[in-house]
Amino acid sequence: MMPLYIALAVGAIMFGVGLYGALSQTNLVMIMMGVEVMLGGALVNLVAFWRFLHPTAYPGQTFFLIIMTVMALDMAVGFGVGTARFRARGSVEMEEARELKG
Amino acid sequence: MILQTVFIGLFGIAAIWFAVVVFRTHSMVRSALALLFSQAALGAMFLAMQAEFLGVLQIMMMATEMSIMAIFMVMFMMDPGGLGGMDMTHQKRGSQAAGVIGAFAALGVAFLAGWGSPAATVPGPQEQLRGLGLDLMERSMLIFETAGVTILAAMIAATAVALATRSATKQEGNDE
Amino acid sequence: MTTVLVIVALLVGAYLVAVLESWTSTGRLSFASPLLAGLALVGRESLVPRKSDRIFFEVGPVLLLVSAVLAAAVLPLSPGLIITDLTTGALFVNAALAYVMVALLMAGWGPDGAYAMVGGFRFLGQLVGYSMPIVMAIVGVAMRAESLVTTQIVESQVTLPNAVYQPVGFMIFFVAAMAVCFLPPFDLPTAPGELAGGVMAEYTGWRLAVMRLARAVLVVTLAASVTVFYLGGWNGPVLPPWAWTAVKTLAVAAVMLVAGRYVPRLREEHLLAWYWKFAIPLALLNILYVGIVLIAGSSSSMSM
Repeated sequence: MMPLYIALAVGAIMFGVGLYGALSQTNLVMIMMGVEVMLGGALVNLVAFWRFLHPTAYPGQTFFLIIMTVMALDMAVGFGVGTARFRARGSVEMEEARELKG
Repeated sequence: MILQTVFIGLFGIAAIWFAVVVFRTHSMVRSALALLFSQAALGAMFLAMQAEFLGVLQIMMMATEMSIMAIFMVMFMMDPGGLGGMDMTHQKRGSQAAGVIGAFAALGVAFLAGWGSPAATVPGPQEQLRGLGLDLMERSMLIFETAGVTILAAMIAATAVALATRSATKQEGNDE
Repeated sequence: MTTVLVIVALLVGAYLVAVLESWTSTGRLSFASPLLAGLALVGRESLVPRKSDRIFFEVGPVLLLVSAVLAAAVLPLSPGLIITDLTTGALFVNAALAYVMVALLMAGWGPDGAYAMVGGFRFLGQLVGYSMPIVMAIVGVAMRAESLVTTQIVESQVTLPNAVYQPVGFMIFFVAAMAVCFLPPFDLPTAPGELAGGVMAEYTGWRLAVMRLARAVLVVTLAASVTVFYLGGWNGPVLPPWAWTAVKTLAVAAVMLVAGRYVPRLREEHLLAWYWKFAIPLALLNILYVGIVLIAGSSSSMSM
């Protein structure tokens, strides 16, 4: 029982650290790093549940692959937006992006 | 079993430590590579949890992803070396509170829910690979195909967004 | 015991690669020169540049060496002579080689020098090109062996080596392997004569010796992986298995070192354009071709 709890605790703390990072950083790239840390926490939980609760059910591993895809995609789209923003305004500081509020 | 617990704990602590370093260091390249080592420690943790394919995959994917992140940070930031010691955070209190509350909520769920008795044995790595492959090609095929189409859509979208518009390039030409 | 043997084999291979490399550049075959050059480097002072990122500066060369050795850990040199026979061996080779790029990025950023940094980021751009074709080429190999285990991949080539079975995949893998160990047509990160050594520019003394050794080990590792994945590994008549691996690996390394001498260095954008517009579609076609051949082969054997 112990390893499952340790893994879940690691996942939960990673999620907390990532949430702090994503909310506190002013730069787009750093915010994306926070999101990556949160997704990392989610991955730990997935693997822990697969290993300790349902080791013969492979959809858990499939779900892992999907989340990994999502991590790559959020980087790709985020950097696309970042490049466009940098070209237009010369910075990706999110404090300066207030005009997006509309 | 005890060895497994120890390794999961050690790699977990390493992952958390590097994740904290990401937001504490001023040097951008350092923070990107700290994220890489955090994710690689997670990959090692998956290896300790006998998910061999997933662990190796995580270690491989993250090397590329986080290095590309490093190059974008150097491109986009004013002070990538962190020599100026600039503060780049806002709403510190609120986000600290949110982070702590989020972590404790997740911890609470993890420890209060009854998970039942854990499985003692897992299939061997060879069998896991086979099972995962069959699952991808049978039951979860539609989901996996959707992921593929999503990747394609995201690639096109990212390229379209990042392409230089005519007005942007003209502006650059005028500046020079 | 096997670990020691494999590491000794890697070191001997690295020494021979160093001899070959000095031969391709100077035209003289001198067996003492790598040892003398290494000794001289160890004896010299190893400078640390001002305002360097000390952690990255120290870790870079070591990580390069470690990743090359780790990639070699899953490659069988002869039956039983393998450090770990991982179930995901073919994937693990890629995972270890991805850290070559991380090491070069560290070595480029660490010393706080313009040439070094340009070199490190150039290699990152190079990775965006070569990483996809190299994985796709390995997919073709794994399809034929029906396994990711490297020993089974070698055993699947008893009748016909993969270089003949899927020549397109072999060519793609060979070229991508040359890009991984930044040999001449792809030596963008070091680029002698243009970047003054690139990522190696700021390293002196024993740190440079570690870096040169790591590069030579990397060449041996990639030559060995070409041997294992495409040239049938230890399979061959007359000679004992380990000798076949050694001969094939050295031959591949020699071809890699010599071939680059006759091609001009590619520019970054041309490299990326060729990889993405040419090598990736070819690698996908190779996967399709292997699949068709496999299905045709299995159905004909069933009807017989």
